[in-house]
Amino acid sequence: MAWYRDYFPPSKPIAAKGGIKARSKRGAFATSWWGKRWLDVLEALNIGGRLERGRSYARKGQVLNIDIEPGSVRADVQGSRPKPYRIGIGVKQLAANETQRLAAELAKSPYFLAKLMTREMPQDIETLFDTARVSLFPSRASELRTDCSCPDWSNPCKHIAAVYYLLGEEFDRDPFLIFRLRGLDTAAMLDSIRGAEPEAPAQTEAQPETVPDVNVRTLVRGQAAPESFWEGSRPEVDLTAGTDRTPAPLLRRLGNLPFWRGQQPLLDTLEPTYAAAANTALQILASEPLSL
Amino acid sequence: MLILHAALVDGAVAVWGEVPFEKKGRPKSAGASAGQLRAALTEGGVAMEGEARTLIGWLPSAAGRPAPSSPLLGEPIALETTRIEPWSIEVIASEDATNLLASVVGKRLIAPGVVVGGTLAFLATAMRFAAALVSRGHVLPSLEQVGTDWFARWIAAPAAGEHEQIASLVRSIPPALLAFGTTNDAPPAIEPRAAIERFLTSVVDRQMRAQTNAPASLVSLHDRWLAALGSADGRLHGDDGELAALRSTLAEWRRPVTEQALFDFRVAFRLEEPAPDADRWTIRFLLQGVDDPSLMLPLSLVWRSDARGADAAAVRRLMKRGRGDATRFVLGSLAQAGTISKAVDEALRKAAPSEIDTDTNGAFTFLVSDAAALESAGFGVFLPSWWSGKGTKKRLSLRASVRAPKFKSAAGLSMQELVDVQWKVALGGEVLSLSELRALARMKTPLIRLRGEWVQLTSAEIEEAIRFAGARKERVPLDDVVRMSLTAAAAGAKVLALDDVEGDAAVGEILERLQGKREWEELPPPAGFEGTLRPYQARGFSWLDFLTRTGLGACLADDMGLGKTVQTLALIQKRWLEQKAPLLLICPTSVTGNWVREAARFTPLLPVLLHHGADRKQGKAFAAKAKKSAIVISSYALLVRDAELLRGVRWKGVVLDEAQNIKNSETKQARAARAIEADLRIALTGTPVENNIGDLWSIADFLNPGYLGSVSSFRERFFLPIQTRRDPDAIESLRRLTGPLILRRLKTDRSIIADLPEKNEMKVYCTLTKEQASLYEAVVRDAQQAIEESEGIGRRGAILATLTKLKQVCNHPRQLLGDRSAIDGRSGKLARLHEMLGEAVESGDRALVFTQFAEMGNILQTHLQEQFGMEVLFLHGATPRAKRDVMVERFQQAGDGPSIFILSLKAGGTGLNLTRANHVFHFDRWWNPAVENQATDRAFRIGQTRSVQVHKFICGGTFEEKIDAMIEGKLELATKVVGTGEGWLTEMSNRELRELFALRADAVGE
Repeated sequence: MAWYRDYFPPSKPIAAKGGIKARSKRGAFATSWWGKRWLDVLEALNIGGRLERGRSYARKGQVLNIDIEPGSVRADVQGSRPKPYRIGIGVKQLAANETQRLAAELAKSPYFLAKLMTREMPQDIETLFDTARVSLFPSRASELRTDCSCPDWSNPCKHIAAVYYLLGEEFDRDPFLIFRLRGLDTAAMLDSIRGAEPEAPAQTEAQPETVPDVNVRTLVRGQAAPESFWEGSRPEVDLTAGTDRTPAPLLRRLGNLPFWRGQQPLLDTLEPTYAAAANTALQILASEPLSL
Repeated sequence: MLILHAALVDGAVAVWGEVPFEKKGRPKSAGASAGQLRAALTEGGVAMEGEARTLIGWLPSAAGRPAPSSPLLGEPIALETTRIEPWSIEVIASEDATNLLASVVGKRLIAPGVVVGGTLAFLATAMRFAAALVSRGHVLPSLEQVGTDWFARWIAAPAAGEHEQIASLVRSIPPALLAFGTTNDAPPAIEPRAAIERFLTSVVDRQMRAQTNAPASLVSLHDRWLAALGSADGRLHGDDGELAALRSTLAEWRRPVTEQALFDFRVAFRLEEPAPDADRWTIRFLLQGVDDPSLMLPLSLVWRSDARGADAAAVRRLMKRGRGDATRFVLGSLAQAGTISKAVDEALRKAAPSEIDTDTNGAFTFLVSDAAALESAGFGVFLPSWWSGKGTKKRLSLRASVRAPKFKSAAGLSMQELVDVQWKVALGGEVLSLSELRALARMKTPLIRLRGEWVQLTSAEIEEAIRFAGARKERVPLDDVVRMSLTAAAAGAKVLALDDVEGDAAVGEILERLQGKREWEELPPPAGFEGTLRPYQARGFSWLDFLTRTGLGACLADDMGLGKTVQTLALIQKRWLEQKAPLLLICPTSVTGNWVREAARFTPLLPVLLHHGADRKQGKAFAAKAKKSAIVISSYALLVRDAELLRGVRWKGVVLDEAQNIKNSETKQARAARAIEADLRIALTGTPVENNIGDLWSIADFLNPGYLGSVSSFRERFFLPIQTRRDPDAIESLRRLTGPLILRRLKTDRSIIADLPEKNEMKVYCTLTKEQASLYEAVVRDAQQAIEESEGIGRRGAILATLTKLKQVCNHPRQLLGDRSAIDGRSGKLARLHEMLGEAVESGDRALVFTQFAEMGNILQTHLQEQFGMEVLFLHGATPRAKRDVMVERFQQAGDGPSIFILSLKAGGTGLNLTRANHVFHFDRWWNPAVENQATDRAFRIGQTRSVQVHKFICGGTFEEKIDAMIEGKLELATKVVGTGEGWLTEMSNRELRELFALRADAVGE
């Protein structure tokens, strides 16, 4: 309603601590074509000044957290009232037959699968979607349901806009998030395509083997020489130091954490740590030569 | 004697000391007290922060005592006859034992009598493995919950091959490391894998934590987590739900690296160069097996479900073997590779991800930036063999062509002579012309295929190459040319290395000799030199002369017993004939007497001044005497103490004997040695200098000041790359620099064996300590009376008793005094034996030590075990037959058996086969040559083709020397001696005896 827009003066939000700060400092939020497509829908809604306020909120870090679930996004945004506002964005999920058609098309092209995993969506993937008669992005406002607990009756308000912009940035980083939002479980889909065994995510790290009760007595049973108790055997280990050319290779490989809220990117903060630690490790290794 | 052991208890490292068992006040308690333990650590110069506790150690025991872990502490007992029983043991426990572990690496002991046990050595290796992981960046941050608390931690992120190494550590762990607990009821339940992983994590965490700085703002959870990664305890406070979510996020984030452990393969990249006429490169994507790294299959087979053939089947097998989703893993890996390498990222845009087609610029970028990063991140990377890791193996390089303007022979060339240098530029073996170089400058790619080979070329290199190729001849002193040739660096060349320096005629000869391409001229022994030089010794003497004339310092590093002394004396004699100026010779105190005697024997015409002892000359008197001497012999101790005095003389040269005494560049004596000004510089050592990189700098810097740069640049350029990475470029570069300076021959060298007698017998003249000298004189005084006042059998008895006592004094005061007083530092012979055995053991030799006194054998065994930290065998009359056989067998076996065998047997041990020994020491002598030879022959076998070094110890200036001289000189006496023992001595007159027993002033070495 037009008169509400003129009635509410722009309010100053309470500064939020530890919120998610947009990476974009100026200009556009999404750089990928699908991220842009996502934002197109928002910008077509023509909510005027609220878009601007939304961008500013996103850059200031007023959005405290974002949760993406199939079919909905929940977020908390710090506004001018002490209690943060609750935001909900609902997205129509893909129907079962739409998912099947999509899976069938993807199965024909592992190339597209690999592309998806490189966090990019080639422009031509739309033809794949077209063939499957599925549209990935909401094309109309009616396909989105948005609500916010703030007093502004305009829908979407600047708080929703802020969340929307941040989502655009995250979709840049991980296109699978759009799939997730549309209710598409990519992991399950890949499994069904490839027919591979289901994974065991929780156990990729510690793998404790169940061992029968072991103690010193059991370890030396049947041994004769005192050395087997006191010396053990020679372990085969490679003590060659790493070169100092790339200090934090694994950080580079893994990239940032999703929705990173630190002041600086993770790599920037920890790269000096890796470099310095590698140097002291080198001093320890230098105290005795590798056998020449 | 205390053996240091370690144990892992609840994530902490507990250190305890094993000592000879004594029943203590408290029942069932063993080991050193915490106080003794700390004292031992302090003696070894190790700081260990930790608190003293009492734990229960479950150790193999028998007959009411814990079985000793090593022969150093007692007779070993077979494990099956022992039972594991609990003992109450004091330990020092600490979360952080890094200092202690770093200080024991590679050492058998940290101080005399404080031995590094196997458990401690093992843990030190595990600690270094963790350090290696940190040096490679294979660690990641995480968050974990312990009870209700949350901790930010650094954890190890092992790459493909490293998991196997951790498994190896787990398999090799000594059970003793896990034998400690807190209760008497039952030994602690242990899990070797968990214990190792916990230990590795604690080391990794500590090293990373020490370098993690908290971010400026601590508001967001992520920043607080970062701060906790660097805080002392790592604790992170917050809402449980939030923290649990962060933990999952982190685990998920780490997954691409951690899940590598589930798969039997990894993604790899191979750069393939273009065909001879083409210019497109291929970076091929592959799957490489982890267990079998030689298995490499093209990734294209993964995408084609219709692929056939053995390779396709192999790919399917590999993919099925993982315990997770193999496709997802491959795709994910490619995605991550794309974040590291733009080329890979691009490739994923265009076609099926199986290869990249690129041009030379792209290939170069891949080589220079992507390859190393991909490899460190855990991908396989295969590059052409002409790429060395830092650049192409073939590079543009400089060549110098040197001509001496006037015709001169090599001997006549002085180092200041000016010679002409013409520069050329070469690639591999071929010289490039200026026009070819100009053509290269017009090409724009960093990699060029030149005459079929790939070469890396920067514009700086081309510019410099053109500059040198177009330059006119330069005139420089020969001295500079020599230096250039050794350091492979041309003055004025910033980027190009100097590959080759060649010269004509005289210059060429000198250069080729330095480079080892031509034998130096063999000189005849100089006039005034008495005795003969063996052929290899003549070559050594000639080398010393040649090298020192080129202005370089020389290091003669021949094996012990090959005659470094005599070769050096020949050189000194030659130079004395050319110039009558003094040369300073510094050696250990124990060897001064030897040098004096050798000089008297081989170069009797040289005036020698021994600057030593309390009554040595000072001030002007010293300077005057020194100026007239050919050699001034002094010790390392006096090099420091009398530095001022020594500086007052203009030395022609300086020789350091046993130069390993200055291997630590920081010590006073190392500094003092470097401060001596002299043109002629020689270092003598029996230890393999070039194998100890750390020790090399000090000696090289003494020989040629500034030659290897400063200590810190040496460390950066050579020490660290070689010690920690075996960097082949650094090794080669160092070898090229130091090779010409060192001449080392081993007694096993084929060219030497022919020149050495089967039994290379040498006399080692030792000195007496002050204490020994005064005991000696006391014995002689008492004896004089007794002998002169008695006759017949009484007189005989008195003489023989005196001889025995004097022998004991010359061996060690403790033998005469019969007490349990200190051993170290009281006997000149012992000091020399210690030095010589040290060298022998370091070279991997084995030695027999004969003494006629069982007591002395005991003293030797105790002392040597304390000092070397290894078992020393001792066989004497009372040793039971069975034990004797075991000892002999252990000594004779190849591999890690004991290297030193002390024998104290009447007949020198006839029938014993000890042929593994290549050194025989006679600590005290049978004056009967037949008996002595029989003992020596224990080390011999019919038909053997090596030389055994026989060292006969004689205290100079004492009756030992005089008797030796008598036996040598009078053959009839020798025949008299056979069969009558020492009886012949009793037939000497009182006057003769007085002369025999008189102690010469120079017998004392202090």
